[in-house]
Amino acid sequence: MQRTAPIQGFWKLCAVLAVGWGWLNASGPTPASSQNDAAGIEFFEKNIRPVLVENCYKCHSNATKKHKGNLLLDSQAGMRKGGDGGAAVVPGQPDKSLLLRALRYGEDLRMPPAGKLSAKIIADFEKWIAQGAQDPREGDAVVTQEVDWNKARRFWSFQQPVKPELPIVQNVSWSKTPIDTFILAKMEEEKLQPVRSAGKRELIRRATFDLTGLPPTPEEVDAFLKDQSSDAFAKVIDRLLASPHYGERWGRYWLDVARYAEDQAHTFDVKLNTSAWRYRDWVINALNADMPFDRFVKLQLAADLIVKDDPERIKHLPALGFIGLGAQYYKNSDAAKAAADELDDRVDTVTRGFLGLTVSCARCHDHKFDPIPQQDYYSLAGVFGSCKLTNLPLAPVEQQNRFKEVQDKIKKLEGEVKNILRDERVQLGAQGDQVAQYLLAAWKFQVHKQQEPQAAVNDFAKANKLDAEILKRSLKFVQNPGPNLELFKKPSAPEIEVQALAEKLQQQFQGMPPLDGKALEKDKEALVQKLFLAEKAVFFVPDAQVRAKLIGEKKQRVEQLTEEAERLQKSDAAKPLPVAHALTEASPANMKVFLRGNPAKQGEEAPRRFLRILCCDTPPTFKQGSGRLELAEAIASRDNPLTARILVNRVWQNHFGRGLVGTPSNFGQLGDRPTHPELLDYLACQFMESGWSLKKLHREIMLSAVYHLSSEPAEQNFARDGDNRWLWHMNRRRLDIEAWRDAMLTVSGKLDRALGGPTLDLSASSNVRRTVYAKISRHDLNYLLRLFDFPDANITSERRNETTVPQQQLFVINSPFVIEQAKAFAARVQKETTDETARVQRAYQLAYGRAASPEELSLAMNFLSGRDDALEQSRNRLTRWERLAQIVLGSNEFLYID
Amino acid sequence: MPTMPSFEKMTRRSLLQRLGAGLGSVGLAGLLSEQKLLAETAPAGRAISPLAPKAPHFTPRAKHIIHLFMNGGPSQVDTFDPKPALSRYHGQRPPNSNLRTERGTSGLMKSPFRFRQHGQSGLEISEIFPRLAEHADKLCVLRSMVTNIPNHEPSLLMMTCGDTQPVRPSMGSWLLYGLGTENQNLPGFVVMCPGFPVVGPQLWSNSFLPGIFQGAHINNSNLDPRRVLQNLNNSFLGRNSQREQLDLMRRLNEIHLQQRGGSDNPLEARIQSMEMAFRMQFEAQEVFDLAGETQNTREMYGRSPFADACLVARRLVERGVRVVQVYTGGGQPWDDHGDIENHRNNARTVDQPVAALLTDLQRSGLLEDTLVLWGGEFGRTPTSEGAKGRDHNNHGFSVWLAGGGVKGGMAYGATDEFGFAAAENKMHVHDLHATLLHLMGINHERLTYRYSGRDFRLTDVSGNVNHAIIS
Repeated sequence: MQRTAPIQGFWKLCAVLAVGWGWLNASGPTPASSQNDAAGIEFFEKNIRPVLVENCYKCHSNATKKHKGNLLLDSQAGMRKGGDGGAAVVPGQPDKSLLLRALRYGEDLRMPPAGKLSAKIIADFEKWIAQGAQDPREGDAVVTQEVDWNKARRFWSFQQPVKPELPIVQNVSWSKTPIDTFILAKMEEEKLQPVRSAGKRELIRRATFDLTGLPPTPEEVDAFLKDQSSDAFAKVIDRLLASPHYGERWGRYWLDVARYAEDQAHTFDVKLNTSAWRYRDWVINALNADMPFDRFVKLQLAADLIVKDDPERIKHLPALGFIGLGAQYYKNSDAAKAAADELDDRVDTVTRGFLGLTVSCARCHDHKFDPIPQQDYYSLAGVFGSCKLTNLPLAPVEQQNRFKEVQDKIKKLEGEVKNILRDERVQLGAQGDQVAQYLLAAWKFQVHKQQEPQAAVNDFAKANKLDAEILKRSLKFVQNPGPNLELFKKPSAPEIEVQALAEKLQQQFQGMPPLDGKALEKDKEALVQKLFLAEKAVFFVPDAQVRAKLIGEKKQRVEQLTEEAERLQKSDAAKPLPVAHALTEASPANMKVFLRGNPAKQGEEAPRRFLRILCCDTPPTFKQGSGRLELAEAIASRDNPLTARILVNRVWQNHFGRGLVGTPSNFGQLGDRPTHPELLDYLACQFMESGWSLKKLHREIMLSAVYHLSSEPAEQNFARDGDNRWLWHMNRRRLDIEAWRDAMLTVSGKLDRALGGPTLDLSASSNVRRTVYAKISRHDLNYLLRLFDFPDANITSERRNETTVPQQQLFVINSPFVIEQAKAFAARVQKETTDETARVQRAYQLAYGRAASPEELSLAMNFLSGRDDALEQSRNRLTRWERLAQIVLGSNEFLYID
Repeated sequence: MPTMPSFEKMTRRSLLQRLGAGLGSVGLAGLLSEQKLLAETAPAGRAISPLAPKAPHFTPRAKHIIHLFMNGGPSQVDTFDPKPALSRYHGQRPPNSNLRTERGTSGLMKSPFRFRQHGQSGLEISEIFPRLAEHADKLCVLRSMVTNIPNHEPSLLMMTCGDTQPVRPSMGSWLLYGLGTENQNLPGFVVMCPGFPVVGPQLWSNSFLPGIFQGAHINNSNLDPRRVLQNLNNSFLGRNSQREQLDLMRRLNEIHLQQRGGSDNPLEARIQSMEMAFRMQFEAQEVFDLAGETQNTREMYGRSPFADACLVARRLVERGVRVVQVYTGGGQPWDDHGDIENHRNNARTVDQPVAALLTDLQRSGLLEDTLVLWGGEFGRTPTSEGAKGRDHNNHGFSVWLAGGGVKGGMAYGATDEFGFAAAENKMHVHDLHATLLHLMGINHERLTYRYSGRDFRLTDVSGNVNHAIIS
């Protein structure tokens, strides 16, 4: 049996069939296709058609719009053309007709799936095909159609965004900015009334969490309340945007898209990306610096090709972590498939991340819904196939040279030591009669194995009191002993001759005169290496033992050299250079389309170039190396209708809880349509005109009246638009795990606000840094992160799920982390004030940015003065204040932002 | 803040949009009827839990799955697929043996173990499973299993998640997503392994499904009920004192809710969830506390981490947990490259506990709606690796099913004369998944999740339900 490519079941089948039958498609017109004789037609109508209708049309007909395996069985043309595997029916040749093979329930193809049809029916089909497969049915065989590009480009997201006219609205006084006008117009259309504006306390809390992922301090709240100027809120926004915590918050959103992690999901052969954090820091810094988004895109794909000079080059190389930290799968018994899977990770992350297109759907066939031919997938895959993941040193060239120099020196010193040690090593290896003994024993084992095929080296070694490891290596040696020693290979040789040869070798080495570091002639050198000197030599003696034997001058010299090497090793120049996990150019090459996604079956070539739907019918091929830079430029271009729209939508989503397009990484046919298409286009155009500035975008969004809306419900609106698609109020939002954890640390006073640097395990009790600096694993995602809907970093994520389960609340009520924060929080308020009432008020101010109501205050006071259950008094390990602090941190108000 | 999609937050319309296409009637019928959501909006206090039980597509034959994972890959020809020809041709290369496996192998190697027929069915089982053999008439051995790649990682992933790369949800997660779970005070998908198997947590990953559908991993090397689940045990306050604390939290949360109109699904859901967490502390500890079992029962299972896990598995399904997965051990215990004789030790680890589990499930009537799956990620070569070992083999291997709707005392499919490759009625892992889902009342083609522009499913674009093994 042939080994079939280990690919997924369905296309394994297709692949097998295609290999066998694919040529039939190309073999010209099928014979006997037009001889419709009456008897044949009658036979068809009576015995064939009803069977097809009953058993096959459900999955293989135009009428049901199903064409599994791209096979249509409701027309003559469809049958003759066949599906992915080739012609279903070859008139006159039953054995070459896949349909019959399927009906017979062959090895790899069985139809219909519900069960084998009767022998009579199968015989009918055989007869029908043998007699020419008469078939009067007309109709189209073509399942996949060429893309009608002009029509395809009329789809909303493929049209260039144009800054629209402002709509006319009734309630002119409500509208503060153009954004409001667009939103209000829709509301008025839907007969909805915007609710009131949020109060200043709500607003500053909302804005502070939104931009920094941290709660405002009571002092910040007070300052804002006191500031009566008309631009008081604008000042708050500017202050927050200038904070380095802004990048920590918004960088994390991008890291979700970039499926940022420091390792791989699997465990075999994995190199950890220990410098992954440099990419994370690069993202944070780029956002803090308000790097234009088009540049942000380009640097992540091609920083090495864009920034050539230090120190900028060193600063931006970590950007390449966007691809450089991508999946590196285990190159197992099907390395070609694993490599293709890796390319899919790149294509998927780049196209969904930047373009909101699911290009990955076109890996095995043309995209079923969007105008993305399979060839286009491989055009992009080819770009990444022409690159390789690598670690780039983050140091000036001179420093790299110095590093190399010193490493070379060290190597040279070590080489010299090795040379001095070699004579001693050979002598030690050849001491006694072990060379003769083991080589002979190895030969004898071969003889033994001829009689006992199952014989084990270990048993043999044990029986003969030999070292099993040396015997194994000896065995390897005698199986391939080199010139003039072929006798060792022959179990049929007379033992006495083999013994003589072994002894001769022994004597030769024991008596070998010192070479003092010089090499022997070629064959002999190879032999000495194999027996004594190479790392895995048969009689290798470790360094320490050899050194111990040295005396006199040699000893001195070796010590001197070793010392020198060690000194260099400790020098600054020898310090390992910091690296970025990046990608660089490999040899540029186009890929061929993998038919059905199978690397073993390749079709037409796919020139490296941009997607047709975003360019033109024949996009220019990429000319510079892999084409990475040209791809980056095509993505980050003002002419690209998607990039700016995708980004402003992501930003909108993170301010309002839902994007204007609800599927932020899919702007294709199956994605949502924008609720406010004009607003989306307005923002996209405005964004590009502003120089792709994210901070200006935040500012514009946050200064709108719609951002100021209260989160309170309004019954009438709710009945019309319960989902709040038209934004008549602000969505109440749950803090994500990062903001929630960081907020607890802030309130407890424990937060370490240091920026950047290597990652820390989130579960370490000493870790009081912001959550964005936690170790992110694809293999074993931290429990807390997973529990609170942090995305799986194996795949790009467009938004967080939001689930509420009791395990999360177990964390609130029992986890050492929350208890720790509660204790610190309690200690903090108890230290800051002495009056119990004031303490409660201080706790409320710190946690919620407001005073406790009289009811809340009295509940808290009652609780604080309560008495413990008598039986539990002795085991309770939390004070009343600590318990109250835990309640404040665990409450809904702390988790949900109005 | 990225907050969507929130299952609680949705109105009926968006719920229909999000789940309708994906779940078909599984999600819908379940969510709508159980949660009384057929009214235009959810009544107060009836917030939807995504783990609430949902109706299947059709009447299920099983409600729970226990997957006894023989990680490392047991050898079929030494366990459930006897091949007398191996003795006759011992040491010879099999004809046409160009099947690729991970490493090189040499001649055929007879099994060091004897097979005997058992039960009324006469099913042949290796001598290394003396206790399990007593259940022969309950077992449905699938002898013609195939998978794609002869390496552990891809095959472990294929068996658990239906794909060779770590980018898909596990079967347990799919089942939770599709069916929910019957006991809201316990995790719905429990995985027990002392330490991690190879690959690790990805084997019970939710992947792109929401995080709550992930398997809860429990280290059963030393079952301490207080520590089995993270943060399960309250070590700071007595029960009454904690209750008093949570009463105040609840009161404050209710005030917060009242100020916001008195009806808000996410806020209410979290209030309820806090109460559930309080109860879970006690119920979950109780289920992992084996002290409540009789001496007889403990002895029937034996005392070992694997035995404990099997007993816990019974206790879990008894309480309505949907999916339980038990690994033989950490790493890959069945991976006997060096000496297949070691299978005897692995069999000793699992034989008595598995037999006891079947006895126990049968006795309590649970076996009727509990499906037990026993097997590895692939099988082993009938040819020898080194002197006495066997290499990985994806071309043919055996697993068995018992209980929940499958026929007992039968062997389905066959490998070739030497047990190298499946020859008759080949069954791919996708087919196994399709069949398992079918038995759980799910049409594997209709259990889908819209993600990244298409509807994903456990069986990708493959999988045929094997009706021949269904009773």
